[in-house]
Amino acid sequence: MSRDNIGEFEELVLLTVGVLYDDAYAVAITKEISEQSGRAVNVSAVHKSLYRLENKGMLKSRMGDPESKRGGKRKRLFNITPIGKKTLDESIELRNSLRNKIPDLAFKWDFI
Amino acid sequence: MEQKPPKAAQRFFKLYCKKNRYEELEGDLQELFYDNLEHYGPNKAKWLYVWDVLRCFQPYAWKNTQNNSTIIMFNNYYKTSYRSLMKNPLSSFINLFGLSMAIGICVLVYGFGKWYKTIDQHHTNKKVVFLSTFVANRDGADQKFGMAPAPLGEAIQSDFDQIKRVCRLEDKSVVVKFEDNVFHEQVRLVDPSFLDMFTFPLVIGNPGSLRDPNSIILSQEMAIKYFGHENPMGEEVLIKFDEKEGKAFKVTGVVEKFPDASAIEFDCLINFENIKLARPELNLNDWAQFIKATLIEVNDPKEVLAIKEGMDKYMDFQNKADKDWAISAFDFESIETLYENAGQIRNHITYGGYESNHKSTIILSIIACFMLALACFNYINIAIVTAAKRLKEIAVRKAIGANKQLVVVQFLTENMLVTSIALLIGFLLGSQVFIPGFEQLNHFKMGFNILDPNLFLFLGAVLLFTGLASGLYPAFYISRFHIVSIFKGQIRFGKNNMITKVILGFQLVLSCITIVCAVMFTLNSNYLINRSWGYQPNGALYIKVHNQHAYEQMKAAMSSNPNVGSIAGSVQHIGKNHGNAIVKKGTKVYEVNEIKANAAYKEVLDLKLMEGRFFIENSTADRNSIVVNRKFVENTKVGNPIGAVYKIDSMDYQIVGVVEDFHMYSFFSNIEPTIFRLAQDHEVLHLSLKVTGGKEMEVYRNLQTQWATLYPEIPFQGGHQDGVWGNYFEEIGNHAVFWNVIAMIAVVLAGLGLYGLITLNVSGRVKEFSIRKLLGAKSSNLANNIVRQYVVLFVLALGVGGPLSYFLIDFFFNSVYTYHVPMSLYSVLFAVLLLVVVLVATVLSQVRKTNKSNVVEGLRTE
Repeated sequence: MSRDNIGEFEELVLLTVGVLYDDAYAVAITKEISEQSGRAVNVSAVHKSLYRLENKGMLKSRMGDPESKRGGKRKRLFNITPIGKKTLDESIELRNSLRNKIPDLAFKWDFI
Repeated sequence: MEQKPPKAAQRFFKLYCKKNRYEELEGDLQELFYDNLEHYGPNKAKWLYVWDVLRCFQPYAWKNTQNNSTIIMFNNYYKTSYRSLMKNPLSSFINLFGLSMAIGICVLVYGFGKWYKTIDQHHTNKKVVFLSTFVANRDGADQKFGMAPAPLGEAIQSDFDQIKRVCRLEDKSVVVKFEDNVFHEQVRLVDPSFLDMFTFPLVIGNPGSLRDPNSIILSQEMAIKYFGHENPMGEEVLIKFDEKEGKAFKVTGVVEKFPDASAIEFDCLINFENIKLARPELNLNDWAQFIKATLIEVNDPKEVLAIKEGMDKYMDFQNKADKDWAISAFDFESIETLYENAGQIRNHITYGGYESNHKSTIILSIIACFMLALACFNYINIAIVTAAKRLKEIAVRKAIGANKQLVVVQFLTENMLVTSIALLIGFLLGSQVFIPGFEQLNHFKMGFNILDPNLFLFLGAVLLFTGLASGLYPAFYISRFHIVSIFKGQIRFGKNNMITKVILGFQLVLSCITIVCAVMFTLNSNYLINRSWGYQPNGALYIKVHNQHAYEQMKAAMSSNPNVGSIAGSVQHIGKNHGNAIVKKGTKVYEVNEIKANAAYKEVLDLKLMEGRFFIENSTADRNSIVVNRKFVENTKVGNPIGAVYKIDSMDYQIVGVVEDFHMYSFFSNIEPTIFRLAQDHEVLHLSLKVTGGKEMEVYRNLQTQWATLYPEIPFQGGHQDGVWGNYFEEIGNHAVFWNVIAMIAVVLAGLGLYGLITLNVSGRVKEFSIRKLLGAKSSNLANNIVRQYVVLFVLALGVGGPLSYFLIDFFFNSVYTYHVPMSLYSVLFAVLLLVVVLVATVLSQVRKTNKSNVVEGLRTE
């Protein structure tokens, strides 16, 4: 199986989908990321990542119930798939292993 | 009130958004909108919504373009259009040619209209600079004049606070000399404010330098004439106001080349203070004397009304000073509208011509409409007839689900394709061929700019109009057919379509009119060349002399020449200038043209005497005699002219002779009542002489050399009497050239249309003709068969077109020319014949083709 690489923003979206668990849809994700990271996030960027992740099989989705505050429209709710979890784990593992390989000396600065 | 997201943005979103993602995406956007509504209020929320919609315009939300039927459909339309264009190269050519010609003429009309509408509009202060004008009674009617009483400028400047600047202006013909260059020029005397009021940027120098009465600012043209491409700054030129008064001026500036669209131009500017030299007799405090113009600048155009009301006291001054020439009202004309209204103002500072330009624009627009109509008619006819060959295509389209609208759209697309190509060609044709040609023919530059944004708006409008005008009818006509009847072969048309015939009829009428127009213009230019002037200009030469001494010296020098007959002196000269005189009889007052000449003048110009006698040389009695022209007699209704007494300047004059009417200037101007008075020798300003034995050129050269030896300082001004009209004949000839070109295009367009129509008609009936041939029809028979369809149409169209063109052109000539050739029936006959020849030639060529073609091939088609 070819490894699917995901970008930094996509990883963030994937993580947030996991965090929100059963209520992960675009607007909620946008708000969550903005709150947690403190950066302005646009909903269309989140849409783009969500659909891409779904295409890569890392997310699956279902339609929710119609809501009046959405003009009677349903929302698409996302869940992480096992592939998604694996990608996430691998990505985090890779980071951790790389982080652990950094020699202590690299963090020794001279304060003169 | 409940707030909702903006409708337009919602609609746009729905337009581009994929169906299966629309619900969730739109839901998200709306949720955000209501969120923002709480946080930021309705306005910002709406803006944010619009912004989000725009940001979502990304591939993930787009409808799938690969399956987009609209795009596929238009691709297909384009392909079929292209194929059908290539399939019928002849009709495509006819359509393209006609439309491009018409659009080219439209571009010309635009360029010309724009040119004359922008004349003098480049002056930044055009709205606040006004020319003072006045109304005075002359010839029994109130007329407006652009001059001003000499003291007016100074008076209003001190009396009105609203007036920011005043500029007095006077023109004077002078001799300008720099080293070996001696020329006659018009020098313009102005107050230094002139360059502040008008936008005449300097290439070099300082506009303030005009304050120095010794400096001169040149036009670029004049700077090049005297100094070539060397820097003229600081050079001194000598200006001779008359033989005695001369003054050196230092060049302190050169004005940039005047824009193409300008009517206020000058050779050079000097300070108004030099008026003492230019017009020594002028008293700047005398309200009875006038200068060429006085201009004012105000802060706000509305203030002019107040100033106008305060002008009454100047009227009193003027009326007291000059009762004969009493001003009845003062007025002001802004520079913005001066050119447009110059036709109603006498003696103003711009070049006139607004009316004739306006007329030309109308005529050109009519021509453009004619051409567009001809081209559109061609298109409609050809489209309808070709549709016969494309019936199956239409039926198939309809069978697979195209509705009527879609077929209309298809045919309009096709037509837009043709029109767009024609637009491109027409634009090139107009800007590269028609406009330069027109400019050359009429000796002017219209400053056409291809990058003018309004031009593109105009072309867009032309495209839309032409596209719809030519395409709409065929599109609707073709889309109307039912599938079943097409497949059954029940639809027959192209042969007897009423609309096609009516349109062809129109084309014939239009081309008939243009042909008659061209013929008449050609006849007219010949007629005018041969028209009698009322005197004999051939063999007469004239020369301008500056005083009596010069006159006598030249006379003495020339009389020894054996080829010279009589020599005459005159103050004014026919064809060059004339004076005015107020003639009174009892209570009646007439303003007439006046020429002061001595006795030999009649001999030299061969004026035809009707009654009485011309002046007798050196007769003191004749000092109180006048000779009048026939028009004078007619106008004054004097029963027995000889011996009648008139008052001029409170002196009595007796008519001693009547001469035949003659043309003072070109045939564009009317013959006016004219009187001759005996010129005193000391007044003489023109010398004219009769050359005998056809030696004009020789005598003319002799005249020039004599002048050059006597007066090397003064430029020679003279010429052949038959040359005084300058480019008048050329202009008349140009009219004929222009109309011939137009008529040629019209005939070609109508001819091509006819040709296309008949060709298509014949090719649609190949089978029929083959059967006829098989059964023994002769070619005359076939020709008969083809022609028969058009005979009635031709007779009707030409029956209408002939008389119509006769009356239209007659009307047209009467409004353009003062004197013109009488309408002739031959021109109409010629037009009719020409069109008939085109028809016959077309039919014959088709008959030949049918004759040559193989019967079997013909039977096999379809």
